[in-house]
Amino acid sequence: MSDNVMTDEQYNSQVKAVWRATIYLAILTVVEVSMALFMHGKVSTFVLNSLFVLMTLWKAYFIIGEFMHVKYESRALVMTLGLPLTFLVWAIIAFAHDGNAWLKAFLEVTTP
Amino acid sequence: MSEALEITNPTQHHSNWPTPDNNEGGEKSPVNMSYGKTMMWYFLLSDAFTFSAFLIAYLAIRMSHVWWPNPNHVFNAMPFLEGVKAPMGFVTIMTSILILSSVFVVRAVQEGHRMNKNGVAMWMVGGIIGGMMFLGCQAWEWSHLIHEGLRPFFNPFILDAEGTLRIAQSAINETTGIREIAVNAQNQFVDVHGVAHTIGEGMKQGGPETFGALFFGITGFHGFHVFTGICLNIYVLVATLNGTFERRGHYEMVEKIGLYWHFVDLVWIFVFLAFYLM
Repeated sequence: MSDNVMTDEQYNSQVKAVWRATIYLAILTVVEVSMALFMHGKVSTFVLNSLFVLMTLWKAYFIIGEFMHVKYESRALVMTLGLPLTFLVWAIIAFAHDGNAWLKAFLEVTTP
Repeated sequence: MSEALEITNPTQHHSNWPTPDNNEGGEKSPVNMSYGKTMMWYFLLSDAFTFSAFLIAYLAIRMSHVWWPNPNHVFNAMPFLEGVKAPMGFVTIMTSILILSSVFVVRAVQEGHRMNKNGVAMWMVGGIIGGMMFLGCQAWEWSHLIHEGLRPFFNPFILDAEGTLRIAQSAINETTGIREIAVNAQNQFVDVHGVAHTIGEGMKQGGPETFGALFFGITGFHGFHVFTGICLNIYVLVATLNGTFERRGHYEMVEKIGLYWHFVDLVWIFVFLAFYLM
């Protein structure tokens, strides 16, 4: 991707790829919103929220990979960007756990 | 992936990386990318951590509350349709606008690769209009919620009777020993109703007062990014029309600003998840 000027072939395939990603994003958003509207109370909140997270990560894949062009960049760049972000997995687990602990402490205080 | 690590002539992609000539070493980019674009990527990485910190704080605070306002009730208004309840309707439109704006900027980047000045300008106009429409929508939503009484430290979205019952039920199920406490209290002639009242009051007072602070803070910080992105996009449009990039021989600035603009879209996907879907 270092050349300034693309060939017609490259150009056509990349334009197509972008519009395809757009359609996937639109479908995923519509599905997510309809799930949020109609599936609350029918499926457990944990399952529903897990599905939302997975679909959001899927959407993020299209934006990062296709729009931000990372799919076509060097492995070195993907690693320097991706590896630091894996610390967030720990942060999310730790803070969710701690938030839950605050709730338990609160319930213990309010129930004598 | 090995071809990505091959030595590439840095001048091939108009690089400003340090060279052996200035005694700084690094005769080629380690990530096979120009200096400016690489630095934009690392800025975006740092910005990703900032947004992550906000969203993880939101997660911890939300987890620590017995209940949280239902997005289907909070975000159910639509401009020009007073009294009509359209849960999530407006935010779906906002999301679509921002994603489409991002797509337009991708198209501008692609036209830049073909040195198509008019194509870049046309798609950039689309991207700018999309960004402005998104900001307009957000301004309307903020003013609507402020009108409803939402403040950084006051939350008007209290539980209805049905919600209270549901939460009390799940609190009883989930809190270990709460039944035993009630039985003991009865045996010791303690006022059980008083205990229940305390829990209820606690649910109300300990309720999500910070909902407004988190909502205005996080969507506001994102909105500030959108505003900055619009300014940068306008710069790219003006410079394109002036022929600055054409004279420079490449449209890499469109790519760099484009990366920022897609990042703003990416962050919105996660804000959408945290505030509207969950």
